[in-house]
Amino acid sequence: MSGEPALMSLTAVAKAIAAKQLSSREVTQSCLDRIAKWNPRLNAFMALEADDALKAADAADAALAKGGPKGVLHGVPLAHKDMYYDEGKVVTCGSKIRKDFVAPTTSTALQRLKDAGTVRLGSLQMVEFAYGPTGHNPHYGAVRNPWNTDHITGGSSSGSGSAVAARLTFAALGSDTGGSIRMPAHFCGVTGLKTTVGRVSRAGAMPLSWSLDTVGPLAQTVEDCALLTQLMAGADPEDPTASDLPVPDYMAAAKQPIRGLKIGVPSAFYVDDLDAEVARVLDETLAVLKKEGAEIVKVDLPDQRQLTAACQFVLATEAAALHKRWMIERPQDYGAQVLMRLQNGLAIPAVSYLEAMRWRGPALSAYLTAVEGTDAVIAPVAPMPAVTIAESDVGNSLEAEAVIQRITRFTRPINYLGLPSLSIPTGFTRSGLPVGMQIIGRPFDEAMLIRIGAAFQRVTDYHQKVPKLS
Amino acid sequence: MTRPTAKEIRAMSDVADVPVDNDVAARIANSIGPAFEGFAPVSGTLPFDLEPATFLLVRAPQVTK
Repeated sequence: MSGEPALMSLTAVAKAIAAKQLSSREVTQSCLDRIAKWNPRLNAFMALEADDALKAADAADAALAKGGPKGVLHGVPLAHKDMYYDEGKVVTCGSKIRKDFVAPTTSTALQRLKDAGTVRLGSLQMVEFAYGPTGHNPHYGAVRNPWNTDHITGGSSSGSGSAVAARLTFAALGSDTGGSIRMPAHFCGVTGLKTTVGRVSRAGAMPLSWSLDTVGPLAQTVEDCALLTQLMAGADPEDPTASDLPVPDYMAAAKQPIRGLKIGVPSAFYVDDLDAEVARVLDETLAVLKKEGAEIVKVDLPDQRQLTAACQFVLATEAAALHKRWMIERPQDYGAQVLMRLQNGLAIPAVSYLEAMRWRGPALSAYLTAVEGTDAVIAPVAPMPAVTIAESDVGNSLEAEAVIQRITRFTRPINYLGLPSLSIPTGFTRSGLPVGMQIIGRPFDEAMLIRIGAAFQRVTDYHQKVPKLS
Repeated sequence: MTRPTAKEIRAMSDVADVPVDNDVAARIANSIGPAFEGFAPVSGTLPFDLEPATFLLVRAPQVTK
């Protein structure tokens, strides 16, 4: 096969390895070559395990020569956010506190991908304890956006967004508690799927907020995300909150047309105070979906600001409870912003936290009533494209929370409601920064989002654009 | 619903065994305060028989077509 294997999509490279058109070693070496060129500029990798990756690739090639592939991702090299436990490996969670933590088990999501035959490239950078939307990390340095290295990647799955965009890995696991998959996908121009709470097991994934945490992939294409979610989703005895609802055929959903579907566009909140270029891209995205046969309708959603506030109560309180021991014993080992945000949880009375938890059902019910008759809702992921690293480096200053709130304004309500949301690249600004839109679905209806997103990617090429190393 | 003052936050953090000084308490009040204002329309309005598990019931059978 001609060309650089690392530039292929996950599904395409997996097929090429299975068909013996490419070896796992060739593919792995191609990723390592790009990592060598790009990573010094991006800081996307937490740990690179080049020798072990090549050994594993050789073993995969030898196994394939003897028999059939181990699974649908046989010999495909991947790296993931450094919060997924991998037995015997150091998992830093982006922190100083866990810089030497050796995982005692392997997370279910990661194990299911390993069972499909993947090769480990190393681990990817992230925001400290996944608690921040920009990609800054005071311990390991900010991760940089491959489209313009002066700009943020978004967080907290910062390394995942940067590495997938630069084609250093074919896909990467992220996690989304307040927008941490969708924001890096939007800012870095890749596809990211925030799954329904409970769709993918959280066992062995570092917790931030047990009510809101979700596991999901970032990859080049919707089809890639569909394949990874297919492999990871489903019941898990290690995580009693993982749903036992049947997992639909997501790959089949990716092939369905969208003619006749009704897609809602919020009449307020998600379309207010947008950067002009994000507003333009939203209009262009709607035009594409319309051309493909979808009907675009306005939807009047309940007050989303209340959802944002409720999300903040739940997230801040649960994060503070999880971190309390270290807040007492090792406060000096946190970055200033993360410590400040953890301390926020101390100010929320138990009754307010429980009110936010009690309101979740009625709030979801009101949302579902508002979108009745539509198949999904589309909205921007953030009001703006990636801001610069310098302007968003606010630490624990008085304006920090306002900056964080502005960036996460359109993602947090969805986390509170526990809904699935697919972020797809849908355009670029005049200065060359990517812009993404999120397609929001009903609980456990990832298949519908995959159907719409894949249809969009069949007739556009934003997801195929690759940043150039200047 | 009233946003907590720095003084109240100091007391709450003391009770939680994670004491903070005046500056930190003031920063927390500034940071989390807007969430109290955002949630004010909901606070104190929820019906008696509502529990968090209602969320699981509402989200269960919602898949389209």
